[in-house]
Amino acid sequence: MPFHKINGKMVEAPIQPGQRMFSQRGAMLGYRGEVSFTPNLTGGQGGVMSMIGRRVAGEDTPLMTVEGRGTVLFGHGGHHVHVVDLVGDTLCVEADRLLAFDGTLQQSTLFMGSQGGVMGIVRGQVTGQGLFTTRLSGHGSVAVMAHGGVFELPITPGRPVHVDPQAYVAHRGEVTNRLSSALGWRDMIGRGSGEAFQLELSGQGTVYVQASEEKL
Amino acid sequence: MVAYTGQMTFKKLTGGGEGLRGMVTRRLTGEQMTVMEVQGNGTCFFAAQATEINLVRLNGEALHVEADNLLCTEAGLRTGTTFTGLNGMASGDGLFTTRVEGSGWAAVTSNGPAVILRVSQGMPLRVDPGAYVAHTGNLNRSLRSGAGWTTLMGEGGGEAVQAEFTGEGLVYVQPSEKITFGGDV
Repeated sequence: MPFHKINGKMVEAPIQPGQRMFSQRGAMLGYRGEVSFTPNLTGGQGGVMSMIGRRVAGEDTPLMTVEGRGTVLFGHGGHHVHVVDLVGDTLCVEADRLLAFDGTLQQSTLFMGSQGGVMGIVRGQVTGQGLFTTRLSGHGSVAVMAHGGVFELPITPGRPVHVDPQAYVAHRGEVTNRLSSALGWRDMIGRGSGEAFQLELSGQGTVYVQASEEKL
Repeated sequence: MVAYTGQMTFKKLTGGGEGLRGMVTRRLTGEQMTVMEVQGNGTCFFAAQATEINLVRLNGEALHVEADNLLCTEAGLRTGTTFTGLNGMASGDGLFTTRVEGSGWAAVTSNGPAVILRVSQGMPLRVDPGAYVAHTGNLNRSLRSGAGWTTLMGEGGGEAVQAEFTGEGLVYVQPSEKITFGGDV
């Protein structure tokens, strides 16, 4: 079920019997046909253990299951929406940026602190993302929210991309994520440029960057 | 800066003097302008607060812009401040505005897509000070008051103060109004 963009801030998704979709609770704007919305207590796929895992990781966002026959419109908070079509690869995104995604995708929680040791833990603090992130993999579509428009930057081996941690939205592919600091003596005396920390993404994939340095 | 590829270094500058390789204003409170210099090799992406960006090409003329609205400029451009006097007070922009001169590109942010309005001799333009973003050309800016006795009674239309531009040039106006003194009465 691909998402169709109605405009920069709304997406439409067709839904058929036997299929299901997850969306952030309250993100439905309108629908046609017979569609039911049920709150998803476990916050996504998996059983109670997955729920506990997400609660502990701070990656639990109130989700609802969307089932039925018809088309549903999604949008939330006037944020820009970006649609990512996954074809067997993985997307890593913060749970609160997820607007809606196909039920065919596998949802899991990823421990980010393991990438980069101590800097990995520092990264969670600096970026405000915490130590965990949500990983979606398989075949299907994901609608991701961002403040301001989103652009994609390709990452290829040997050509890493540096992103402002506040402007980082999501990434897909085989990408390692490292906090690089350009702290110098200037920052120590309060004359920093305001760009002391950057996320360095290297590997093979794509990073999604928003046109703002504001969290949702 | 939201992202870059290649090698870049960022260095804080104060005031925005000459010889800049690139410049970014960071949004801070008031009229204060913090500038950083970007040097390196690669591609650097700039954005601020999801605002719209207008590219302005300067060929020796001057661009007057609020410091808050200036995102970045090319190396060949010089920046400075000019005194606007009481005009700035009512528009909430403070007493100074930023002046960009030289040849090159400057990026100006606006809250919503900006319209560019032409001002020519005998055709003055009045804009809401909160919606004013920038102007180029040979323009005189003065303050016009539309306040009357209803304003004093607290029944004003919210448009008590306007900025009037006369001369020859272009004015950039955004579809949004900053909170200004003039907008309250």
